[in-house]
Amino acid sequence: MSKQTKFESYREMPIRAMTVDNMLWNETGSWRNVKPVYDNKVSPCIYGCPAGENIQHYIQLVIDRKYKEAWETIIESNPMPAVTGRVCSHPCMDKCTRGDYDESVNINAIERALGDMGLDNPEWMTKSKKSKKEKVAVVGSGPAGLTSAFYLARAGYSVTLYEAEETLGGVLRWGIPEYRLPNSVLDRVIDSILSSGKIKVKTGTAVGEDIEFKELENNFDAVFIGVGLMKSRRLGIPGEDCKGVEPGLDYLRKVNSGRASGSSGKSVVIGGGNTAMDVARSALRKGSDVTVVYRRTRTEMPAIASEIEEAEKEGIKFRFLASPKEIVTDGDKLAKVIFQEMELGEPDETGRRSPVPLEGKTFTMDVDRLFTAIGEKGDLDGFKSEVDTEWELIKVKGEFGETGRKKIFAGGDIVTGAASVVEAVAAGRRAAEKILRIFNNEKDPPVRDGTDFGIENINTDYFPKSKRVLKPRIPVSEAIKGFEEIFKGFDEQMLQKEVDRCFSCGVCNYCDNCWIYCPDASIIRKDDEYEIDFDFCKGCLVCVEECPRSALSIEEEGK
Amino acid sequence: MREARIPTDEIMGSGHLACQGCGATMAMRFALKALGRQTALVIPACCWSVIDGTFPHSAVDIPIFHTAFETAAVTASGLKAGLEMRGDHETKVVAWAGDGGTFDIGLQSLSGTAERNDDIIYVCYDNEAYMNTGIQRSSSTPVGAWTTTTPVTNYKERPKKNMIDIMAAHAIPYIATASVAFPEDLIKKFHKAKDIKGTKYIQILAPCPTGWKLSPELTVWAARKAVTSKVYPIVEVTENGNRLDVWKEFEPTSFKEYIKPQGRFRHLKEDEIDRIEKDIEASWQRLLAKEEMLSSIPGL
Amino acid sequence: MKKVVMGNHAVSYGVRASEAKVISAYPITPQTHIVELLSELVANGEIDAKFIKVESEHSAMAACVGASAAGSRAFTATSSQGLLLMTEMLHWAVGARLPIVLTNVNRAIGPPWSIWTDQNDSLSMRDVGWIQIYCESNQETQDAIPQAFKIAEEVQLPVMLVLDAFFLSHTYEIVDLLDVEKVREFLPPYNPELKIDPADPHSFGNLASADYYMELRYMIEEAMDEARGVIKRVGKEFGEHFGRHYGMVVPYRCDDADVILVTSGTVASTTRAVIDEMRDEGIKIGALKIRILRPFPFKEVSEVLCSAKKVAVLDRNISFGNHGIFYQEVKSALYGKTDIPVSGYILGLGGRDVTPKVIREVADKAIKDKNPEPYINWIGVKK
Repeated sequence: MSKQTKFESYREMPIRAMTVDNMLWNETGSWRNVKPVYDNKVSPCIYGCPAGENIQHYIQLVIDRKYKEAWETIIESNPMPAVTGRVCSHPCMDKCTRGDYDESVNINAIERALGDMGLDNPEWMTKSKKSKKEKVAVVGSGPAGLTSAFYLARAGYSVTLYEAEETLGGVLRWGIPEYRLPNSVLDRVIDSILSSGKIKVKTGTAVGEDIEFKELENNFDAVFIGVGLMKSRRLGIPGEDCKGVEPGLDYLRKVNSGRASGSSGKSVVIGGGNTAMDVARSALRKGSDVTVVYRRTRTEMPAIASEIEEAEKEGIKFRFLASPKEIVTDGDKLAKVIFQEMELGEPDETGRRSPVPLEGKTFTMDVDRLFTAIGEKGDLDGFKSEVDTEWELIKVKGEFGETGRKKIFAGGDIVTGAASVVEAVAAGRRAAEKILRIFNNEKDPPVRDGTDFGIENINTDYFPKSKRVLKPRIPVSEAIKGFEEIFKGFDEQMLQKEVDRCFSCGVCNYCDNCWIYCPDASIIRKDDEYEIDFDFCKGCLVCVEECPRSALSIEEEGK
Repeated sequence: MREARIPTDEIMGSGHLACQGCGATMAMRFALKALGRQTALVIPACCWSVIDGTFPHSAVDIPIFHTAFETAAVTASGLKAGLEMRGDHETKVVAWAGDGGTFDIGLQSLSGTAERNDDIIYVCYDNEAYMNTGIQRSSSTPVGAWTTTTPVTNYKERPKKNMIDIMAAHAIPYIATASVAFPEDLIKKFHKAKDIKGTKYIQILAPCPTGWKLSPELTVWAARKAVTSKVYPIVEVTENGNRLDVWKEFEPTSFKEYIKPQGRFRHLKEDEIDRIEKDIEASWQRLLAKEEMLSSIPGL
Repeated sequence: MKKVVMGNHAVSYGVRASEAKVISAYPITPQTHIVELLSELVANGEIDAKFIKVESEHSAMAACVGASAAGSRAFTATSSQGLLLMTEMLHWAVGARLPIVLTNVNRAIGPPWSIWTDQNDSLSMRDVGWIQIYCESNQETQDAIPQAFKIAEEVQLPVMLVLDAFFLSHTYEIVDLLDVEKVREFLPPYNPELKIDPADPHSFGNLASADYYMELRYMIEEAMDEARGVIKRVGKEFGEHFGRHYGMVVPYRCDDADVILVTSGTVASTTRAVIDEMRDEGIKIGALKIRILRPFPFKEVSEVLCSAKKVAVLDRNISFGNHGIFYQEVKSALYGKTDIPVSGYILGLGGRDVTPKVIREVADKAIKDKNPEPYINWIGVKK
């Protein structure tokens, strides 16, 4: 600020009409009636992620080549990006504003790249040095259980992780085939999670069998149940129990533990979800000629779209609007299956049209192996009497996995029914953080609301159209020869190319536009932010208009 | 914080007297960032005569010599000669004039300076009318525009004077157009001009919200759309007028979109807009043909 | 070194001796020889300067303004139409306080076209603020230039040197050419404190409100007043260096004169011949040449004229609607100091020859007429 120079006598004046000072005495801020303010919003991708990952933020960190900080950002919400970066259905990408412009940003691939970096740099995962007195039991080592254990251990609490199988991982190991998630990657992810603090692992210990639930309740300050849905639903048709008919999940378990035999001949998979796709593609790799039979049409299939496409590319056949009616055996072995033809009727409670049998229409197929993948059930034998259940799922109230019973929490598929890995991770974290708040007598945070941020909030003049960078892959002809991981990760060049496509919706990413275009030089560029000098800002709002991402808002002057 | 996209030295300061959203100040700010402090400006009568501030205050931290309307170019020539005779061969002398002081009243002295190839940078910040005196037409006012001397019932019919062709006819080493919507390009052009000896002419589209009857936050938008709708081609003329480079790497947009928020075009009817659009396309094609033709002549 | 030199070339040699650094000029008869010789001298290195060959006189003065603002000694020359064209920039030079030196060859203004001499062009600029020096000989013309730069650089006002077209500009006389080394002792290099300099940035000529404009103008008038003393001192110093001193007015045989003729320019030379002739006849007559028109030498003029009984002012110019200009200036100088009759004579416009016969006619008329005012005497008009 300077004072206006005033001359009292000509003797003080230069003899030439020459200036002696600047114009900073003239505070043009008084000209305004509206003002711009920096007002970061929450990007839609963050709302799209069930785990609430700060996607916008970590993408910007990647742009700055701050890979460790980017990875740490993910770990705040999700301890297994190397997993989700491979298997997630990425609802974040459905919310990505760029999808309404050219193609959504390949957030999934970016997460995978960071997840893999985290595995390559195990020192990034800090081991908690704290030591708290409370102890927590986690039952189940799938995504929900591992996540819950992680956040509790990181906060310094002792966690004992109970797992019925001999190895950890839950559905990640037993349900998802290696061509999607290699066991080698899963093992490193689990190691990384276990390294975060005091986690005692008790494998081969089924709650309800090897240890009573009551013991957990008595010996621990909190219990988290994340046992998932590891049992297959039965078809409920005659002949189901013969040789050659196998629950899909059991088959996958065998495949993933290397115990499945080759299965040439004709295989049929009943079902339309992810499990059905996993089973079909595994059977294909083991030598079968595979047909998937689903009672509705392709449109209603609940499997991740890309999984269905891959299955089709691999040569798996599909038969829609059919349901198995009867198993025909030859001795004690499966020989044929009689199918009932269906048509689509009225929508059911999921909104999908219900299959209705077409009276009298059937057909028969010769089948060597029949796999069922029509839904999963949880094994609640261990805790049936201890927690409320409904529809064979554990009932919880609120956002944080609280069951009716004190100290007892649950999350993941055992609560929601078959959902996704990322939802299980989210549930595990929310429950863990609630437990932490209870231990420390803290209030719950406010609930996150939604957003109406859309493509109209982006100044698309600043973004030339571009295609999404895709994960490199091995060709289908190679892929079906075995269980090698189909999709590979981004190298650094591809990573940098793709993160550049992120709009950074509603959040300032220091693109400099506001500072550049201000006609009054009233935006100050500081070390980590911009500051508007309201003594001089005339309120022209060019900055608001030229911000490519609506990170500035307009306020009435005088408010 | 990432590395700044343009130089960070603020040679033009706050507190100046420009209207809200003034394109001319954006142009000055970018130009000075490119030129640096070893620069002297010569400013004839134009908006910047007033924007700079009232005696004894100046918003710009380099020397300025305010001069009479028609003399920007030659006063700059004299200033440059005077500095060199004092032994100062470093200071860049820049004439900074509006379109009135360039296309019209200043054309003679600009022609003289260019013909002599005096070592100055001549900058015309083009807001397409005599804005400082209250929005009267200049020979830079585009077809169809309202001004106080081309009212709606008798709007500007004659096309915008083609200063680029005129300057090219003087065989000077560097001519360019730029727009305040593309600051990095503008700065690059000034860096180029700085290193060339002889007369350099840079014409910058600097929209005037007040005179264009445009909401002030749309200044940069208008400066961008003017280019992408081909109304204001971004070009470089080098090799003493023998080579033309036209910037084409943009998604074309429509003239209709460009004029929509501008009150100075509000009176135009459908058929008039169509006619103007056709002329714009024809001019663009001629420009591309000229670029092609010049590049095909061997030895140039 | 003495040389027979054209009036115009005397100007060029004066500029050479004064080490002007930037010269910008546009050709116009009868100034062309000034700039032609200057071009040659610059080209062959005798003058170390930049010569900007501008495309109009307005630009010529603008270039000088720019060069002077940079702190370099600047010079231009013009005449008549050219001087009028650069009017706006003449004002600019004054307001910007730039010590530019301009040589104007007095030429009549068109239409109709005329290339011959009268004083209306320079006199129409008398209000602008330029110091004006009217020269009558080739030597004086050359000598005026270093003096002009010295005066200008001290009071920070531009100086206009005036010479008659053809009668002075194109006639040859012996001139003692000035040596640049010797002139440098008299006129050191120009090195102003206020200038365009990125190391000390200022903006010159910004919009000034009514609060300050008057003070800036007041300072110009103060400088004009200061110039009176400076012109006399510099003229004396020049005499000490080169043996020829110059003042604001040049009286000739005025001490006991009953009638004094007031003249300027080459007419002053012719008038002296007539004075001698009339003195030989026993008539007590004298002549006063006014050399400096601005700042007007009120004191010097009234000192000489008050002792006479009659004054006759010879004007080679006319201010339409109000007499000859030197007449007006002299009358206002004498107002309140004396009530002796002052008569005015308009002669020589458009280059009409002012011969000894014409001057004698004026002198006789002045002596004879009882009550010579208030009317304008036009001499030699075909009625």
